[in-house]
Amino acid sequence: MDVNHIFSRREFILVSGAMVVAVSALEAWGAKEAPLIIMDQAKGLVIADPTKCVGCRRCELACSEFNDGKASPTIARIKVTRNLNFGPTGLYTGQRGQGAWGNGLVIQDVCKQCPHPVPCANACPNDAIVVSPPTNARVVDPNKCIGCKMCQRACPWEMMSFDSDTNKATKCFLCDGKPKCVEACPAEALSYVAWRDLTDKAPPRVAPTSVVSPDKAQTCNNCHKK
Amino acid sequence: MANHGGWAGKVLRIDLSTRRISTEDTIEKYKDYLGGTGIGYKVMWDEVPTGTKPFDPANKIVFGVGPLAGTGAPCNGRTAVTTLWPTCWPKPLVASGHMGGHFAAELKYAGFDAIIIEGKADRPVWLRVVDGKAEIKDARHLWGQGIRRTTVDINQQMGPESSVAAIGQSGENLVPMSVVINSYSHSAGGIGGVMGSKNLKAIGVRGTGSVRIAENKEEWEKVVKLHLSLLGSVNQHVVPNSPQPWAEYYSPTRWLGSKGRKWGSAEPNIETGACDPHNLNRIAYRTNNAAFFLGEKAWQYTVRGNGCSSCPIRCHTILKVPSVSSKYGIRAVGQNTCAGLVFGREFFKTFPDGPRGQTAIEACMVGMSLTDDLGIWENYGQMQRDFQQLYYSGAMKNKVGEDEFKGFSWDQYEKGDPTFLFELLPRIANKQGELATALGLGTGYLLERWGISEQDWQQNQKIAYWKMGHPRHHANEDAGQCGVIINTQYNRDSQCHSHVNFTRNGLPIKVQKQLAAEIWGSPDAVDAVAAYSPMNIYKAKMAKWSLLRKELHDSLSLCNWMGPWIASPLKERNYRGENSIESLLYSLATGDKKSRDELDEVAERIFLLHRALTIRDMGTKEMRTEHDTIPDWVFIDPTGKASFTAGTNRMDREDIKLAMDMYYEEMGWDKKSGSPTVAAYQRLRLGEVADGLTNRGLVP
Repeated sequence: MDVNHIFSRREFILVSGAMVVAVSALEAWGAKEAPLIIMDQAKGLVIADPTKCVGCRRCELACSEFNDGKASPTIARIKVTRNLNFGPTGLYTGQRGQGAWGNGLVIQDVCKQCPHPVPCANACPNDAIVVSPPTNARVVDPNKCIGCKMCQRACPWEMMSFDSDTNKATKCFLCDGKPKCVEACPAEALSYVAWRDLTDKAPPRVAPTSVVSPDKAQTCNNCHKK
Repeated sequence: MANHGGWAGKVLRIDLSTRRISTEDTIEKYKDYLGGTGIGYKVMWDEVPTGTKPFDPANKIVFGVGPLAGTGAPCNGRTAVTTLWPTCWPKPLVASGHMGGHFAAELKYAGFDAIIIEGKADRPVWLRVVDGKAEIKDARHLWGQGIRRTTVDINQQMGPESSVAAIGQSGENLVPMSVVINSYSHSAGGIGGVMGSKNLKAIGVRGTGSVRIAENKEEWEKVVKLHLSLLGSVNQHVVPNSPQPWAEYYSPTRWLGSKGRKWGSAEPNIETGACDPHNLNRIAYRTNNAAFFLGEKAWQYTVRGNGCSSCPIRCHTILKVPSVSSKYGIRAVGQNTCAGLVFGREFFKTFPDGPRGQTAIEACMVGMSLTDDLGIWENYGQMQRDFQQLYYSGAMKNKVGEDEFKGFSWDQYEKGDPTFLFELLPRIANKQGELATALGLGTGYLLERWGISEQDWQQNQKIAYWKMGHPRHHANEDAGQCGVIINTQYNRDSQCHSHVNFTRNGLPIKVQKQLAAEIWGSPDAVDAVAAYSPMNIYKAKMAKWSLLRKELHDSLSLCNWMGPWIASPLKERNYRGENSIESLLYSLATGDKKSRDELDEVAERIFLLHRALTIRDMGTKEMRTEHDTIPDWVFIDPTGKASFTAGTNRMDREDIKLAMDMYYEEMGWDKKSGSPTVAAYQRLRLGEVADGLTNRGLVP
């Protein structure tokens, strides 16, 4: 499939708040018609300030305890522990990298609530990752998840978790708009902020000279409604 | 086990002699002792025979955590390490060291509540524990390495998330004054040499599992938030150190956060701000122990607060002091808390730019860099106080041979040059020479070796030595008679903070007295510090309560350095805390519903088992005269002030006799001997312990 998602003909089907786009522009490839998932924009996401993180992991604990009834950094949908000691570049930096063993900086990894494509949802063979109101977060529908872990392999930020007790994948679902991790941080290092769609905005320091060809612009407008 | 939350359910047992690895069911075998020191004392009582020496293969080490470790209950990061204590003088007895960091939580996620180490490996090994499985690994390539290199090496094998508790050269060389350290700066004193004696270099733990909360998760969330709302700063100081817009009071506490005080080496700088206690998202900014212990200058070097898993109070501070790289060739970044922060500084009497100047901070950085890698223990500052006393009194020069003595740069030492630490500290870890070897023994054995009377040390308030090789730890200088009683009870420094975290919480005495009346039955339980009144029964009740909460915390895995939480910063609660927070958390996490009194009774059982172990291994029931002793300096005021006058910590001998009487009575022990009676053991379901002691003639 073309990575640029050029859709000339399509039909929209609303499934669980997600839009599944049936793309039929692939006859030339001989592929059978397969739905491409485009989701409504999430209304917000959690962002993190590493300078303020004190490495206590209360975010991970709140995420798993208050949602799942068990303390488990492994299934937490915010990930601090893996960067705690040596930072995201890993332990071969020893004491010259980040983390408590390096310069002290702890990077919190959070789900980006990807606009599109949504790699985890695209990878799911069972369309188990769906948009969930009111936040439009991308969430795992446990009834559909078959525990194949394909989403874990797909997320470029390694933000998918897997709960070996339930044998289901799990991911950040923004706690229906009141993220437990944000509430739990004792250092105000996490915030829940609204996504702002800047697609149509002119960049502040550049004259707005970029031109989108009319047929492409029409395609954009299908999702990014004026 | 399936019915219980909280506990992981298994205890791991490693016999290093036979390389046999086995597990036990926590609930079946140890539930009556909760975890932590509870499991530790139980193992020591059942399995380690009287007369065993700390470095004998027959000694055991119990790394114990409790049902709250690894959960989101605030302040649950501590691992209790119990063993026969190598610096306990004149005869080693049971004691525990406590390390924070991430080891406790990781152990739970790996599926274990405790690790029992027994025997002795025939060559250096390290223990690898991953998700329910353990493996004894060859550590010959790690032997001789410092703690940092060892940890990074093991992390490279186990992954960056693993928690590694390692010893340095000091522990390998069987220096009694040695630590085990995890998470860069979290140490448990006294343990290093015992691990070294077993050829155990390190324990690496990695767990991907979970700790289940047994009861309703919404209820759990409510209680956790209640607990968070009651927190103050480090040591549960609930009043800020400077006037704040929200605060009714301020006093010289460790709650330092304030507008204008910044983490000056964070990029960009982070302002700590007013830290209104209702804002639970600012708790981490209240504390900066580097600024408290090193002075105002430390703010500019502060990168951030650090500390244990789950704890919003960050009592460790990460510092970045660029000058130390060029001057001393050490890393510019260092971290620790309290006595660990000032390890290097405390050897010196003076510095060229004063006690809170740049050189003093650099001495701290050099100290942390060396000791937390070599794995040396400072015995709550006693090593440095001994050092200064021995040097400036001239005793050191007499005891150490002239050639060796001349080998140190004493002119640098006297000037306060931190480079002196490079001469001294590695020698302690490597037992090089008489001075270093003696310092590494701990105070009791050092004094014995050099033919100095323990009484000399007990006369001098400045040395702050208590007994049995160990210093006072929050005694009369913080809590009058209550502090004195507490300092008589353990086989090392008492490490109890239940009392001091109340008396030093910063609230005015009138508010403290109101709270004290509710908790211990009378406002007379507490006095203003250094304005003490004569003994009364409520002070004895407070002492008992303090000791039981200490053991409770050490067994549940709550931090007794932060708790208890009987006062809060909340004016609308009249500064009340919650005396039942431990039982609320315990009941919800485990599903084993226990009231405050029921849980305190379990704590009393654990404390009594410690007492029984002490009596058994001392071989006497005359605890009052032979164990629960009080140094002379407690009864001396250098300026000659009389006891019970304002401005003195001086205690009165007759009054303290009464205090001990009241304490023993409150515990239900025999007043004359200070030993628990058979009935006292039986009341706490320790009948077998009573039988064991009766057979030895060790009950009154």
